[in-house]
Amino acid sequence: MPAAIGQDLVALLPRLRRFALVLCRSPSLADDLVQGACERALANAESWTPGTRFDAWMFRILRNHWIDHLRRLKAEGMTEDVTTHRQLMGDPGEGPLLSKLALTEVQRAIEQLPHEQREVLVLVCVEDLAYREAAEVLGVPLGTVMSRLARARKRLVELTVAA
Amino acid sequence: MSQLHLSDEILMAFADGELDEPVASAVEQAMLADPTVTRRIADFLRSRRLTRSAFSRERLPEVSPELRAAVQAQIDAFAGTDDPPAKPETPVGVHRQRRDTWFSLNGALAASVAALAIASASYFVGQHQALPTRPASLVAQLDDAPVQDALSTVASGKDVTLPLGRMRVISTYRLANGSLCREFRLQGSAGAAAAVACRNGDWNVTFAMAGPEGDAAYTPSSGGDLVTAYLQDAGAGEPLVDAAETKALAESSR
Repeated sequence: MPAAIGQDLVALLPRLRRFALVLCRSPSLADDLVQGACERALANAESWTPGTRFDAWMFRILRNHWIDHLRRLKAEGMTEDVTTHRQLMGDPGEGPLLSKLALTEVQRAIEQLPHEQREVLVLVCVEDLAYREAAEVLGVPLGTVMSRLARARKRLVELTVAA
Repeated sequence: MSQLHLSDEILMAFADGELDEPVASAVEQAMLADPTVTRRIADFLRSRRLTRSAFSRERLPEVSPELRAAVQAQIDAFAGTDDPPAKPETPVGVHRQRRDTWFSLNGALAASVAALAIASASYFVGQHQALPTRPASLVAQLDDAPVQDALSTVASGKDVTLPLGRMRVISTYRLANGSLCREFRLQGSAGAAAAVACRNGDWNVTFAMAGPEGDAAYTPSSGGDLVTAYLQDAGAGEPLVDAAETKALAESSR
């Protein structure tokens, strides 16, 4: 079974890393998180139900791993290099959809959102998870997903009038 | 349902194709009756599109060779203790099924879903490598170059055959804000779509609805009304015809 998910896991690495960056904002820590999550996934491969979304299952493992990391870290305080996570968004240049200026504005607006709004925004609007799937990843009720998501998106629209 | 309180959550769920009947129908009715409802839904569609643009495929963070190698080593280590691997059914089918369900819905709900699918076009293209069996839906291709070219050149009322299907531009409008927009329909093997694209350098699809394969959605019954409602809300005046259209298209391409 572990070998069976290996291929899917490798294919998912870029998106796992992107979500890890949304969570922790540190490129080096993101790598550690992804690697740790992959290890957990391989060790518990039988707990993934074929026919369900593999990506959602991995996002949940990754996020739980991140929470564990935070709990362990709590006593010491954050020492990670919380560097700019420009890598998360990369350089703007989308072209047809948004001008560079507008894209920067959007990125800044997303940055300003509270953490719990940002993660649900990414899971639903970028990773295309259904509300229920996002709720499972985040371990919160569906209603919480919807209220956080709605608030995030209203704020985003307010902050990016010109985009 | 006339007393339905259209909370942000409900309108967002509608925009995301997450609303069940009969609430979806109620929202659809409200949308036709009240432009502010359409605008609020459009804002939710827009926020999704903006977010996706900010995280588009081109900006997927690089996976360092070290990380890739480390994960591969883990996989190999586990594989060594494993039975001959049997590739499990990928989750793609499930995801696709969900989308197909959406696409079989009528009217505004499908419209909102399709508009989302446009917002996610780059994503789906981007996922082809990772998930090779996922088909590119028609709405995911509304921004494609052949469609762009046709929008720039084809006169309203004319049909053209594109690689992805048959396309007809319905009409051309100048919105209140000055932008030039065209309503068009597309019928391909992947389904049918009715959409509005506005020119800002390239043609950006600003509104769309899709239907399942076949002619069902090519001339959507309530769909046409929704496009009209959308255009009215956007301040579209009378359609530009003949010479006025030709002139507007020529000017906008400069």
